[in-house]
Formats: sequence, structure tokens, C-alpha cells
Amino acid sequence: MEEFFQQLTNGLAVGSIYALIALGYTMVYGVLKLINFAHGDLFTIGAYLGMTLLASFALHETIGPFLGLVVLALMVMGLVAVLGAIVERTAYRPLRESPRLSAVVSALGASIFLQNAVMLIYGARFQVYPEGLVPETSVDLFGLYVPVVRILVLFVSLALMAGLYAFIQKTRIGTAIRAAAIDQDAARLMGIDVNRVILLVFLIGPALGGAAGLLVGMQYGQINFTMGWTYGMKAFTAAILGGIGNIPGAMLGGILLGVIEALGSAYISIAWKDAIAFFVLILILIVRPTGLLGERVADKI
Amino acid sequence: MKKTLFFLLACCFLTGMAHAQDTVKIGLMAPLTGSFASEGAEMKQVLELLAADLNAKGGLLGKKVELIVDDDGSDARTAALAAQRLTTKGVVAVIGTYGSSVTEASQTIFNEARIVQIANGSTAIRLSEKNLKYFFRTCPRDDEQGKVAVDAIVKTKAKKVAILHDNSTYAKGLADEVKAPLEKKGIKVVFFDALTPKQSDYTAVLTKMKGAGPELVFFTGYYSEAGLLLKQAKQMNWKVPFMGGDATYNTDLVKLAGKEAVTGFSFVMPPLPKYLPSKQAKAFLAAFKKKYGSEPSSPYSVLAGDGFRVVAAAIAQAKTTDADKLAGYLKTQFKDKDALTGTISFNAKGDRVGDVYRYFKFDSRGEIALQK
Repeated sequence: MEEFFQQLTNGLAVGSIYALIALGYTMVYGVLKLINFAHGDLFTIGAYLGMTLLASFALHETIGPFLGLVVLALMVMGLVAVLGAIVERTAYRPLRESPRLSAVVSALGASIFLQNAVMLIYGARFQVYPEGLVPETSVDLFGLYVPVVRILVLFVSLALMAGLYAFIQKTRIGTAIRAAAIDQDAARLMGIDVNRVILLVFLIGPALGGAAGLLVGMQYGQINFTMGWTYGMKAFTAAILGGIGNIPGAMLGGILLGVIEALGSAYISIAWKDAIAFFVLILILIVRPTGLLGERVADKI
Repeated sequence: MKKTLFFLLACCFLTGMAHAQDTVKIGLMAPLTGSFASEGAEMKQVLELLAADLNAKGGLLGKKVELIVDDDGSDARTAALAAQRLTTKGVVAVIGTYGSSVTEASQTIFNEARIVQIANGSTAIRLSEKNLKYFFRTCPRDDEQGKVAVDAIVKTKAKKVAILHDNSTYAKGLADEVKAPLEKKGIKVVFFDALTPKQSDYTAVLTKMKGAGPELVFFTGYYSEAGLLLKQAKQMNWKVPFMGGDATYNTDLVKLAGKEAVTGFSFVMPPLPKYLPSKQAKAFLAAFKKKYGSEPSSPYSVLAGDGFRVVAAAIAQAKTTDADKLAGYLKTQFKDKDALTGTISFNAKGDRVGDVYRYFKFDSRGEIALQK
């Protein structure tokens, strides 16, 4: 039983990262019906920017660990958000009226471009976050050893998700985003600047992706220019699992995928971990083709 | 009209030939992109250094040596294309490459084109069991590595061992190579499974292994995963000793895992030149540091360097670039006592003769020390 709960916490930690990245896929899909393949690479860039800023400013040493990390997270999120908006401007907006396939190819191109740019700038070696950034200790939770970092990561990602949910549901701009997701033309007729909404989506999604990159960097310490592909793939799966285009669906899908992976490798086979996760995805899609929460089409995003 | 065309073609061909004979072309097939890109970059650095050095001394057979580099992308399909490109460029020999499954995709292409290939990091056994006439390698085979690893495991006196691999040709092969002899010696293999490489979180794997209660974990995969495993085992407060195969070591491992987590980690590996007393190795290290600012971080780039030196020495001594003569010479007469990684000679299969593997352990300063 103890092992079960240990595996559950392992799954939650991984799943919360998946969920955070999945939000970016799902939001873009919600308004544009486009899979933003470059999203995984924006996540990578978030991780690399975090490392660079840490190395050059060492904010956690000058203004205290907590405030330093908050400022760092804000900087990373801001920079990646700007980058996301640039990608939208250069790779997607010129193709807004062209067939969907062109946009998908453009997205793949943007992904390859960003990945190789990271490799050329930082080199192909694994990069490492400075040590001693976050407490390396574990806490004893009812007999389970849970590293402090994991709890921190879990809570930060949950807080970010809750913030996003409140923003989408409760604010005027959030309502505009939801409206644009339902019907762009109708939204435009209601006086919503759809281009601005899309830009906003491309700011929020990448900001969350960048934050996820920073969290992965802090938690695992080791980053690599191909990490966006692995995480992106999983997060994309999570978004589909939860019902792509649906924000709570992405959160649920991410956390569920993490937990399925952990429990699958615990009780079936480690080598078959990914196969198990995708098998569950197929099962769910057979029963519910729109994903877990993707039922009400009118409520997308 | 036909005649002029023929004449033109002949001209092109002749000038092409003439051009080809200006230099002795040696190819390098290395992972310059993809997941082993860091290995490939260093292989290229080592070979460029050695080629420049050789040219400064007058080259080979009175000609300059030209290095033709192609990228195998750490991927079998890309490697097949790279091999085909290299065969059209008139190379007399090819050095490379790193991954066993990547090398495998290029082997027959070079063999059919009658080009000597010297792999530097591909340790899978079956590569040299195919009767390929022109295939050699400067790295030892996994059965050799397996033996050394089994001895090392027996010495730790662990009675229950967990074996973890990553399903790659190399890691799975080594894991199998170790499992059977251990069981014969009465050591229980309580866990035998594969992780998925290139992920950041291996706590699920670790938790499951911990449940099996091993006294030692033997991991046959690569260093980035090894770093994560060590670090996360420490975070979980699991104090089992880890041992690794030769791909678990890279100078970056200390950074990846952290000094504390890496303490006590042991592995088998061909030695880095800094553990070799030879003058050549020391001179090479100094030259490398002078040119690139730091010492080479992987033993495999140095083994690629040895591959280049082997080819150069064979061409110089056999006084030919003919592949049949070179291969024959390498298999029967060649012996280099002063290679960067010790003595090199080859058997009839093209495998390196002699024991190359050593057993190392990390101390608490994050330095590795040779174990007896």
C-alpha cells in the first residue's frame, strides 16, 4: 500500500507538469483549431532561459530565495510569452486563411527551427541548473518520503492552473477568449477583436509552458534541447485525453496521464509504460471520442 | 555529338580523379545532431586536431590528409544516408560511429563499397559477427565488458542485484550479458526491466526497484539517465549502491547528478587518456586542451582518435590506400603499442584484442579513481 501511495505522488508530480504544458496546446486548439507543434520547444526555451537568468543574475542570492524565484519565474514567463507571440505573428498569422495543412506544416517548421536554434546557441550537451537552488530534502508524509521540490512544483502548477481557470471564467477578456473559441465570426460581430484574442492565447499558453520548463529545470536539474519533444508529445496526449480545446480537460488529462504512467510501470511493466499510457488513451477515445471532458462543443476552451 | 559528350564526360571524370588524388580522404561519420550530438562534436574535434597534426608532419604517402565529416544524426536511417554520401566522396576509410544500432545501419554500405570502417563506440557483439571484411572497432565488445562487470559485481558481495537497461541494442545486450553469469554464480537478479530513455522523471522506476530490495543496482544505459537515477534515488533517501556500464560515464555526470549523489557510484569503462601513463596520451591531452580549452569528456571521442591513428599508421606502413591490403594488414600485422588508449591490435573479426575495460569509482570529491 505504501508503494501505491509513493507511486501516486510520483505520478502527480509528473502529471502536473504535463497538465501545465497541455494547457498551451489546448488553448491554441480551442481558438484556432491548430496544433501548435512549436509549443514543446517553447517549453524547452523556458527551461534554458531560466538557467541563463539564474546564472547571470543569481537573483535567489541577492533578494532572497523565495522572492528571487518568483521574479525569475515572472521573467521567464514574460520572455517566453513574447516569443510565443512572435511565433504566432511569423509562422501562423500569414497562414490564417490558408488550408489547415499548411498551418500544421508551418507549426512543424517552427518547432524544428526553435529546437535547432537552442542547440546552436547552447550546444548539444546536457545543461545543468545550479545546485542548491531548491531544498534537496524530503519530508516524511505518513511514512512516505516526498522530496520538498515535488510538493513545491505540484502546488505551483496547481496555483497557475487555478489562476488561469479563474481568468478564463471570471474576467471580460476570458469571456472574449471563450467566445472566440465557440465561433470566431460571431465573436467578431459582437465587437471582439479576434486577432487580439489569438495573440493573447499565444501569450498565455507559452507563458505557462515556459513556467513548466523552469519547474522541470529546477526539479530535475538537467535540461536538453530535445526535451520539448518528449514532454510536448506527452502533454499533447494529455490534452487529447482530457478533450482538446477544453481547459479543465487538459488539467485532468495531464494529471491522469502522469498517474497512469506511474501506476502502469509499478504494477504492469516499466518498459511498457508509454504503451500502457497510449493504450488507456485509445480505450478512452473509443468510449468517448471527444476525450474525457470534451463533450459540450459549445463550451470549448 | 555523342563523341563530344563522351569527351566532355571523360574530361570531367579525369579532372575529378586528378582532384581526388590530391589528398588522402578519411571520412568521419559522427552524431553531430540528435541525442548523442555532444559525443559527435567531440569526435570531430579530436579528429580535426589529429588530422592537422598529421598534415603538419607531412601527411600520408606524400599527400595531405583531408577529413570528410558527415552527420549520422544519432539515427539509423540518417546514418545509412550519410554512409552513402561518404562512399561517393572517395574516402579510403571511415571512422565511426558511436551508437551500435547506428553503426549497424552503415556497415554493409561501407563493406560493399570496399571502405575500411573503424567504429569507436559501438560495442554490441553482433556487429563483428557478420563476416564483414572491412569492419573494425577500437572499442571492445560487450561480452568483454560484461565479464569485467560481473567480476566487479561479485567483488561487492551483493547477493541480490537489480539490472536496469533502456532497450537499446547496446544496453539490452550488456544487461543480458551480465544476467546469466550472475545467476550461475548464485547471485539473485531480483529485478530486470527497461526504462524509457530521454525522460526527466524516473522515480516510478526507482520506487519499483526499491520494492524488490536489491543490494546493488546495475544500470546499463546512458549517462543522462544515470545522472537522473542517482539524483532521484538520493532525493528518495534510498541508499543502495549503483553500478553502471561504460555509457554511464561522462565528465558531465558529476554536474548532472550532483557531487553528493555521485559519491560511491562505480562503473566499467575503457580508461580516459588521463589514466594512461603513455607519453602519446599526455601529449594529445595537452594539445586538445590548448586548442579547445578543456579535456575531452568522453572516452569514445578518444577511441575515435585511435581509429584515425590506426588508419593513418596502416596507410603509412602498408604504403597503400587499397582497402583489401589495408584490412589484411590491420588483421595480421598491425600492432600499435603507443595508441592513446593503450595497445591496439585486431583479430580476424576486426575486434580489438586485449582487455581494455577498467573498473572505476567516484569518491566524495566527485573524482573518479581506478579500482583494482
